[in-house]
Amino acid sequence: MEAGALSNPVLRARPNLTDRIGDPLLRGLSGLAAALAVVVIAGIAYEVIHLAWPAITKFGLGFVTTNDWNPVSKRFGAAPFLYGTVVTSFIAILFAAPLSIAISIYLTELAPKRIRRPVATLIDMLAAIPTVILGLWGILVLGPFMRDTIEPALKSVLVFLPIFSGDPSAFGYLTAALILAIMATPIITSVTREVFETVPGDLKEASYALGATRWEMVRQVVLPYSRPGIVGATILGLGRAIGEAIAVAQVIGGAYLINASLFHTGGTLAAQIASQFQNSAGLQKASLAYLGLILLIFAVIVNVIARIIVQRGKIKDVDVTQTEAAAL
Amino acid sequence: MSKRLLSALIAALALTFAVAACGSSSNSNSSSGGASSPLVGAGSTLVAPLMSKWQSDFASKSEITVTYGAIGSGGGIDQITSRTVDFGASDAPLTPEQFEEANQEGEVEQIPWALSGTVPAYNVKGAPSNLKLNGEVLAGIYLGGITSWNDPAIAKLNPGASLPSTKITPVYRSDGSGDTYAFTNYLSTVSPEFKSKVGTSTQVKFPTGVGAEKNDGVAAAIGQTDGAIGYVGLAHALSNELSMPLVENSAGNFPEPGVESVEAAADAIGKIGPNNEISLADLPSSAKGAYPISTYTYVIVPLQSEKAEEMKKFITYAIGPAGQSYGPDLDFAPLPKQVVAADKKAIAKIGS
Repeated sequence: MEAGALSNPVLRARPNLTDRIGDPLLRGLSGLAAALAVVVIAGIAYEVIHLAWPAITKFGLGFVTTNDWNPVSKRFGAAPFLYGTVVTSFIAILFAAPLSIAISIYLTELAPKRIRRPVATLIDMLAAIPTVILGLWGILVLGPFMRDTIEPALKSVLVFLPIFSGDPSAFGYLTAALILAIMATPIITSVTREVFETVPGDLKEASYALGATRWEMVRQVVLPYSRPGIVGATILGLGRAIGEAIAVAQVIGGAYLINASLFHTGGTLAAQIASQFQNSAGLQKASLAYLGLILLIFAVIVNVIARIIVQRGKIKDVDVTQTEAAAL
Repeated sequence: MSKRLLSALIAALALTFAVAACGSSSNSNSSSGGASSPLVGAGSTLVAPLMSKWQSDFASKSEITVTYGAIGSGGGIDQITSRTVDFGASDAPLTPEQFEEANQEGEVEQIPWALSGTVPAYNVKGAPSNLKLNGEVLAGIYLGGITSWNDPAIAKLNPGASLPSTKITPVYRSDGSGDTYAFTNYLSTVSPEFKSKVGTSTQVKFPTGVGAEKNDGVAAAIGQTDGAIGYVGLAHALSNELSMPLVENSAGNFPEPGVESVEAAADAIGKIGPNNEISLADLPSSAKGAYPISTYTYVIVPLQSEKAEEMKKFITYAIGPAGQSYGPDLDFAPLPKQVVAADKKAIAKIGS
């Protein structure tokens, strides 16, 4: 039966025909898709530079260090927003990364099996909360709580630090940073959880066999093995924090100067663009596009650094596993 | 199987071409003009509720449809400058530079077509309702000079009232807004210091305070902060029943913010500036019931365009009795006679 079908010249010719069309078609279509990604990125970069051009020619590189944003006198600078972006996303990751790693360790190593799934799902759902809702919660709940409870406490203990000086405020860098931390946590958690799950069981069991406690096993096996993954996850979270606009615009308080106090109002690159782009024209619009360009470059730099770190970690890890394999 | 895939691909390609063809044919339709193509406008969010009434009523009366994007005044100016819309709407009159840019593709006309107000709102525990303030005090608060609610300047305006020593938190709009324009225009008129330090625009750099997004954000920030004061659109303040301080006018009175007091302010100003720009900040002392922070909102339209006739009809309708009749329900005051007369002259220039 089978042999008969194969010997039929008509049936044999058909797969040949589609094969001949299919292969180049597959190559063409997938190549087109890959090219499209490149074209889109190049197109975005071109459009942002084109839009920002009047501001680039007027302010030059001095734009980056100018600590001002005055739509009336038409003097614009990126420094307040660059500072705000760095400070808020750094603090956000400072909170989110350890928290996420702790959650992941709990979920992969410690939690009873039947609660792992529900807890993990709930944390993933945190990422599904629309940012504007999180921002509203920031205005109505988190902000007042920061102003009335957290910030006075920080101030009374650490008053000698300039970052905890000034009047507590519901709106400002610190409130924005905490909102960002809440946004970054589910992202970092879900990636680190996946990474921890890939740690080979025999490595863990070997560690236990050598008399390690659970903490020692986590510290000596799970964490080192997952290091590049943890770094990658953290960078993903950082990217989220750097790029978030709406929720930050709602709670950071839209001030256009660098301020040392974390309680003070400020601005970030993304929030400033989201807040003002729609209602701006002329040089201000160009300056906002310039902020966008800086944001783009900033994101690329962070990504490149992350890649370098991950790459380094990988090489080291490969060495370790290879020597282990050799020893076995 | 693979044959089916192939035919699906061909169908998809054909569909793509068909859609592209549809797109280009509709483009050629709109460029050829004709009564069926809609007027497209963009800009002010303040005028948007009034606009939606105008759109349905005007469409039923004239069979001309109007599409409007409430993208903000700055966006409206930007779009009419590049002529991607038929008209722009802005709460702030165009600056000379903006006029120069907008005129590059042929002259544009700016016409005031609606009238409303911007009102302060406050939240101070222990302070009397209907607290009395004036322009100097508001300017002092927003410049950072007046920092507590029992400041002598506030006490002087409210004799006998018990004022708490709560810190004042001024709240402003961090996004561009016609309310910011009206408010800063008023403060710049009453305070030379405010004019030189901050100035007048839809977006300014306040030396102190907290920025919030949109009217709702400002209202929320005021509601959550004891000692806060901010400013919102008249309609927003009235419909959300925010507690509003009374602001002193040039006559020394403290009129209730509302359609009547805004109308009184517009009636008191006879002077119409170049390009039909009208500021209601500098009221004469004879205007007893006039609300001091009233403001016009404008339509910006090119004098020459394919849709000049339709545009003329629409603006004539908007400033006419039918269009203005929707105002009071939405907290817009009717345009005074002298402004309607000036508008009619401006409309006559369109398309001629």
